[in-house]
Amino acid sequence: MKPIAAVVAVLALMPIVLDLSAYSHNLLTLAFLMISGALAWNWMGGFVGQVSFGHAAMFGVGGFVAARVIIATSLPAPLAWIAGALVAGIAAIGAHPMLRLRGPYFSIATIGVGEASRFVFTYWEGFTGGASGLSLPIDADLKYQLYWWGLGLAGVVAAASLLLRRSTLGLQLLAIKADVDAAADVGVSATFYQDLIFCLSGAVVGLTGGLYASYFGYIEPSDLFGFDRSIGFVLMAVIGGVGTVLGPALGAVVFVLLRQYLVASYPQLYLGLYGLLLIVIILFEPLGLTGLGHRLWRQFRKVRR
Amino acid sequence: MARFIDLAFAAVLRAGLYATMAYGLGLIYGVLRVVNLAHGGVIMAGAYLGWILFDRFALDPYLAIPIVLCATFLLGIGMYRVLVRHLPRGAAGGPASLLLLFGVWLVLRNIAYGLFTGDDRAIRTSYSTSAVNLFGSFLEVNRLAVLGVAVLVPVGLHLLLRRTYVGKAIRAVAQNADSCTLVGIDVDRIYTLTFGIGTALAGLAGLLSATLYSVNPSFGAQELLKSFVVVVLGGLGSIFGMGIAALILAIVEVFAIYVLPSYLTTAVGFVMLVIVLIVRPGGLFGQRVLG
Amino acid sequence: MTALLAARGLSKHFGGLRALDGVDLELGAGEILGVIGPNGAGKTTLFSLMAGSLRPTAGEVLLDGEPVSGLPAHRVVRAGVVRTHQIVRPFPNLTVLENVTVAALHGKRRAQGTAKARAIEVLEFVGLADRAADLPGVLTLGGRKRVELARALATVPRVLLLDEVIAGINPAEAMALAALIRKIRDERKTAIVMIEHVMPAVMSLSDRVIVLDHGKKIAEGAPAEVVKDKQVLEAYLGVGNG
Repeated sequence: MKPIAAVVAVLALMPIVLDLSAYSHNLLTLAFLMISGALAWNWMGGFVGQVSFGHAAMFGVGGFVAARVIIATSLPAPLAWIAGALVAGIAAIGAHPMLRLRGPYFSIATIGVGEASRFVFTYWEGFTGGASGLSLPIDADLKYQLYWWGLGLAGVVAAASLLLRRSTLGLQLLAIKADVDAAADVGVSATFYQDLIFCLSGAVVGLTGGLYASYFGYIEPSDLFGFDRSIGFVLMAVIGGVGTVLGPALGAVVFVLLRQYLVASYPQLYLGLYGLLLIVIILFEPLGLTGLGHRLWRQFRKVRR
Repeated sequence: MARFIDLAFAAVLRAGLYATMAYGLGLIYGVLRVVNLAHGGVIMAGAYLGWILFDRFALDPYLAIPIVLCATFLLGIGMYRVLVRHLPRGAAGGPASLLLLFGVWLVLRNIAYGLFTGDDRAIRTSYSTSAVNLFGSFLEVNRLAVLGVAVLVPVGLHLLLRRTYVGKAIRAVAQNADSCTLVGIDVDRIYTLTFGIGTALAGLAGLLSATLYSVNPSFGAQELLKSFVVVVLGGLGSIFGMGIAALILAIVEVFAIYVLPSYLTTAVGFVMLVIVLIVRPGGLFGQRVLG
Repeated sequence: MTALLAARGLSKHFGGLRALDGVDLELGAGEILGVIGPNGAGKTTLFSLMAGSLRPTAGEVLLDGEPVSGLPAHRVVRAGVVRTHQIVRPFPNLTVLENVTVAALHGKRRAQGTAKARAIEVLEFVGLADRAADLPGVLTLGGRKRVELARALATVPRVLLLDEVIAGINPAEAMALAALIRKIRDERKTAIVMIEHVMPAVMSLSDRVIVLDHGKKIAEGAPAEVVKDKQVLEAYLGVGNG
C-alpha cells in the first residue's frame, strides 16, 4: 500500500515541480484513466477468471451518461461521472443471466454484449447522438485538472485491487477461479460473487468512461463502444499480467504508449500487432510483464551469489 | 401467404450456411474442449480466399471449394501445431486459449485489412442474380447452390465420423483422450486433424457467405456468435441436432428482420445466444459428446 | 425420533440411465452410516444429490425434516451438509490454510471467531497445522485428502458426506484417517455418511451400512449382517457363488 501512495504522491507533484509539456501531461492523464479501467477489468478477468471481451459496453454507458448529465445540467463534472458509474454498474447487474455462465460461454456472451451495445447505442441518437456523437462544453481547466482526478482514481482503484486480493473476498474469488464446483461444495456462491465483481468492475470502468468523456470533450459511440476499446482492456491486462494484482496498471501504461507510437507510425498494423502480442504473451509468459519481471528477478538473485 | 413461403425459404437457405459454420466450431470444441475464437477470422479468410480466386483468376466459387477447403485446412493445422497445442490443458487453459485464439483472430483481421482494405467484397458470378421459380417464389440460384453444398456437409461429416477409422478415432478422443493413448491412438495427431477439419468447414462457410453477402475484415463476430448459438442449442454430439438448431436460428432471424427495425436485427443473434445459454445452463456439461 | 438427514425415494435418471432408483435412507444424529456397493452402483450420485451438486429426478432429501433437495450446492452447505470428493479437488492456487479459510467463511453461522482462526483450529484437528503454508500440490495423496477433509469440517457441518476418503492411501495413513473420522463424530458431534471400498474401514467405523447396486438399495443393517447377506454377495461377486 505504501508504494502506491508514494507513487501517487510523486506523480501528483510532477506537473507542479517539473514543467511538463501539454503532450506529456495529457498522455499521463490518459494513462491514469486506462490504468483504472485495466485494473477493474482484471477483477473479473484475472481474479475471478471470467474473461470479458465486452467491457466497452460499460465504458460507453458511463461515458455517455456522464456526457449527457454535463450537457443537460449544471452539475459539476465529478457528479456526472458518478452518475455514469452508477448507471454502468446497474447495467452490469442487468447482465446477471450471463454471469451464471462459465469460461468460454461467458466470454462469447460478452462479445455479444459488446457488439449488440455498439449497434444499439449507435442508432440510439437520443442518447448518444448517433454516429456523430456528442460534444461537451469546453472546459480547459477541467481538462488540466483531469490529471489529478485520473491519478486519484487510479490510486484508489489500485489500492482497492490490493485490498481485494488480500481479503477473504479475494480468496473466494480465487477459489471460484480455480474450481467453481468445488467452491460451491464449500459454500461459495459463484453467481453472487461474480455479480458483485462484475458490477464493481463495470461501475469503475463506467466511471473511467465519464472522465474520458470530459477529457476528450467529444465522444462517439464507435469509439467508446467499439470492439477496439474492449480489446484494449483485455490487452492491457494481458500485457501487464492477467491475474496479478497491479500488473494491469503497468500494462495500461505500456499500452497507451504503444498506441501513441503505433498510431503515429503504423496505423494499419496495430490490430495485428495487438494480436501478435497476445499470442506471444500467452505462449511464453502468461503473466505478462509481471511474470517477466519475476523471472528476471529470480535470475538476478541467482547470479548475485 | 406468398410472403410467408418466401421467408420460409429464406430461412432454410440461411440455415444451411449457419449449420456449416457451426459444425466447424462444434467439432473443435467437442474434441479439444477449446472454443476457437478465431473461428470468425477463419470464416473471413475463406471468404477472402474465394474472392481472390474469383477476382484474379475468374475461378467460379463452387470450383474453388476444394482449394479453399485445403487452404483453410492447412491453416488450421498450422494454428494447432504452432500455437494451440502449447496451451495448458484443463481449467488453466481456459482463459489462455480464449486469449490466444483471439490474438490469432486479430492477426487474421489485420492481414485482411492489409491485403484487401476495409472495403466490402463480394463474389457475384454471372448466375448469381438469376433466380428459379419454385412454388411461386423466386429463389436465387446462388442461394440454392449454397444450400446444396450445405446439405452435403453434414452428410459428409456423418460419413467421416461414423464410417472411417479416423472418424471413429476422433469420436473416441472426444469421449476420453487418455484412454485413447492407451489403445495406441495418437491423440495429438487427432487433435491436429480435428482442428484442421474444423477450420476447413469454417473456410467453406466463409466462401459460401461471400457468394451471398459481402465480406470485410470486421466480419466474424456475428458469425462466431451464431455458430455458438447453433452449437449450444443443437447439442454437441448431434449433427442432426445442430442442423435443426441452425434452422431455428435462421427462422427466428428471418422473421425478426421482417418485423424489427434494421439496427436491432444484429442484436437477434446475441439475444438468441443469451436465451439459449440461460435455458441450457452450464452449457455442455450434461450433453453427449460426439458419438 | 426424526432422522437428522433423510432421503425418500431418491432417483436420478440421465436419459435412459437410472443412476439412482428410489433410494431411501436415514441418518440419525451422531451416527456413522456406511455406503457400499460395486462400482457404478450410484454411490457418488447419491452424494451429489444430497449435497446439491445434482437435482433429483424424483424424491427428496430432508435435513431435520426440511427439504434441501434442489437447493444449489452452496446453500446446502450453509444448511449444514457438506461433501468431500472421490477424486480430491483442493484449490491448487491457494495454500492449505487458504483452502480451509475459504470454507471456514461459510461456517460462520455455527461458530465463533474469525475464519482464519477457525481454519487454523481445523488444520490442527486434522494434523496439518505444520503444512498450512504449502500448496496442496506438494502434499501426498493422504495429505490432500486431509485438506479436503479439513475444508469440509471448516464449514461446521451437521452432516459430513465422505466419498472414499480412505481408499488409495497406504495402510498407516488409512488407520490414522479412520481414527480421525471417529474423532470427528465423537468430538464434533457430526453425523457421517461414508462411501468406502476399503471393507475393514467401513466395517469398523460404521454403526450401520447400506448397500447399493445398480442404483437401488439392496440391503441395510449392521455391518456384520450386511456382509453375509446373499444379495450383497451376489452383487459383488456375481451370481452363483454358492
